[in-house]
Amino acid sequence: MSKGDTKLLKKERLEGFIESLLNDHVVFGPVKKNDLRLLDRIESVNDISLDRGNTMNSAKNALFPQTERLFAYCHGEKVVEIDAPSAEGRGLVLFGVRPCDARGLLLLDKVFGGSLKDPYYCDKREKTVVIGVACDKPDPKCFCLAMGGGPCSAEGSDLLLLDLGDQYLVKAGSPKGKTLLKNKAFQKIDKEALARADLVEKEAEKSMNQAVLAQAAIGEGLEKHLETLFDDPIWDDITESCLGCGICTYLCPTCHCFDILDETGQSTGERIRIWDSCQFPLFTHQASGVNPRPSSKERFRQRIMHKLCYLPQNGNLSGCVGCGRCVTECPVNLDIREVIQKISAREAK
Amino acid sequence: MSQLTHEIREAARGLLRDGKAQVVIGFEPGSLPLRSRPCFIRKEKDIERLVWSGFCETNVARYLPKRKGKVAIVAKGCDSRALVELIKENQITRDQLVIIGVPCEGMIDRRRIEAEMGHELIVEAEEKEGSLVVRTADSEKILDRKEYLFEHCKACTHPTPVVYDVLLGQPPGPQEAIDAFSDVDAFSALDREERWAYLVQETSKCIRCYACRNACPMCYCPECFVDATQPQWVGKSTGLSDTIIFHLVRAFHLAGRCVACGACEQACPMGVDIRKLNRKLQKDVIDLFHHEAGCSLDEVAPLATFRLDDPEPFMVEP
Amino acid sequence: MIESGQWEPKIVAFLCNWCSYAGADLAGTSRIQYPPSIRIIRVPCSGRIDPLFILASLQKGADGVLVSGCHPGECHYLTGNYSARRKFALLKSLLEHMGLEEGRVQFSWVSASEGVRFAKVVEEVTARVRALGPANKLLKKVPGGLLDVSTHP
Repeated sequence: MSKGDTKLLKKERLEGFIESLLNDHVVFGPVKKNDLRLLDRIESVNDISLDRGNTMNSAKNALFPQTERLFAYCHGEKVVEIDAPSAEGRGLVLFGVRPCDARGLLLLDKVFGGSLKDPYYCDKREKTVVIGVACDKPDPKCFCLAMGGGPCSAEGSDLLLLDLGDQYLVKAGSPKGKTLLKNKAFQKIDKEALARADLVEKEAEKSMNQAVLAQAAIGEGLEKHLETLFDDPIWDDITESCLGCGICTYLCPTCHCFDILDETGQSTGERIRIWDSCQFPLFTHQASGVNPRPSSKERFRQRIMHKLCYLPQNGNLSGCVGCGRCVTECPVNLDIREVIQKISAREAK
Repeated sequence: MSQLTHEIREAARGLLRDGKAQVVIGFEPGSLPLRSRPCFIRKEKDIERLVWSGFCETNVARYLPKRKGKVAIVAKGCDSRALVELIKENQITRDQLVIIGVPCEGMIDRRRIEAEMGHELIVEAEEKEGSLVVRTADSEKILDRKEYLFEHCKACTHPTPVVYDVLLGQPPGPQEAIDAFSDVDAFSALDREERWAYLVQETSKCIRCYACRNACPMCYCPECFVDATQPQWVGKSTGLSDTIIFHLVRAFHLAGRCVACGACEQACPMGVDIRKLNRKLQKDVIDLFHHEAGCSLDEVAPLATFRLDDPEPFMVEP
Repeated sequence: MIESGQWEPKIVAFLCNWCSYAGADLAGTSRIQYPPSIRIIRVPCSGRIDPLFILASLQKGADGVLVSGCHPGECHYLTGNYSARRKFALLKSLLEHMGLEEGRVQFSWVSASEGVRFAKVVEEVTARVRALGPANKLLKKVPGGLLDVSTHP
């Protein structure tokens, strides 16, 4: 850690810092809602819950909402009036984002902000500051380390807070973050804190479920191996219990498929964008009636291929950030880590 | 439960060996603590994968509609009722099935156990005579199994399979009298606006993942009404109006068919109280039409028949 | 008389072709006055009614829904109205259980010769819905602050 990019924040100053953000930004943070933890808009510091673990939804919800109005229209007498949402004035702060979700945003940035910019995403993204919170006590289900991330990684965060006990180590992960560090709330770093941070980070990585990390390890050549095994009968076994719901894709920090629909009234209407899922049967259902992915086998395989083969090959991106949500929430416990292990161990015929 | 595991394995072994079934649908341990998951056993050498525990919550009847060939299925009470309904609806024939009946002591809500243990890594969970002993790396708790059952298991009226080819385990003791619909009555007693506010609160949690629908054994339509486009009856967004209609109509489509297995609630990642509507319909179907789903292969589904003297308390009579 | 600016209930009425629709027609030809609150949709039989019709009506702005069919025993298709009776009993009970006001969704039997009765049914249903006020619980407003799920202001 280079000293210029790192400062300290005394815990009693965190509230003030967040309040200052609330003054002129829209702030999202982890909140306790209905027995769950969700990333949601916060109006006051007291809404925030920084307990161990992650939110059920991910940071993608804030920049790529599940339902978003693209524009509304109204048939006037002579003209059709279009009401497109105007570019937003206030900045957006995503507070309390875990390193896995922050990494997920980097993939979404490539998808929505590549050569063809998605204005709905990019508009918000330009004005977004990601203030991450490191996982000093990772959850048992997590395997970010196996996916190229880490419980204390600042990748994707503008600022990352690492809990040192009575204060936070605050690391800048981007030029935006470096600018933020100039805020009066932050204090100069000292050697002791740096050493302590090092220890916390090592402890965090050590405490992760080692068996799970080994299982999910992406060996070299996994992409090629996946291609070779595309028609292998192992997929019949792996996918047989899949229900074909959308839980894995909806909770995933990197999944980004969507549909665009028109909702019409008599003379008014709106065009909306909603999440879609490659796990739904209709996803590839063609007007002719043919469906190239007719069963859960083809659809589940597609998800794995997309995340672990095509995305790495096409954009050098990791399609999975190891957050573990799909593993714990799948009603039939289909486990991407086991899939990696089985595929890696399978000999091509 | 280990006795049942043994009996299930033996039953499955015999069936595969004698060619009486091409696949045995049962449960195997999951990849996480406190998880079991459905498995499909086709070879004798895989028999040891089969287990039975208080975490075998999935309704595996869900895998049967339009399945071909002879299937053996490990069924608890609610699963067997779903089988009855599926047979009546011609989704599978009785001859195709070998039903391995397992009397159920109720399934445990793992999310509550995880919360109870502070979300620490659970290294072991042992079911012992009405208790659940749960261990993490540095703690152990002995929990009352009954306390941690799913709500629908606590209210279960048919723990023992109603139809089976072989019934494993101990013959069940006398059933405790359960006031099965006290929850519905309690909700009815609330003020109307309170009831509506509760529905809005629960529906707002819904992310339209359709896990409830896909986990339900009775939801097998090739095209679900939410996917209809000509016309589009229900919008697909998470807007409140559309989401309420989705849950209302799905509950209505299950009227007289829902077997109260709770697979919907178990599958839901957001904790929506899905069964609220189903419970009311179950009570109404009993009160109005004297029918309980999945109890008899001879009873016709209530919405596929009628009586000349059906009640009509709601008529407009000017 | 409707005064301009005063809210009047909009009630969608699903009438079976053979009995209730004919009854409504008879009320018209007999010049029997009844509130102009209903918008009639003719269906072959009350048994054709899908709960989605009723819910879609409420979603799109109906303040009330009336479903009317032949008297039991008189259905043109013999048994359609018996099915409708069962479905309707469950739907009405479910809607009211979850908090929809009692009186929004109504069911009646009106035969082809009952023009007077039809008018009376409409009067009663209209009065009930008027007392409840405009319906907004299931209303899906398009567009304008409708889906209220956009997370950015």
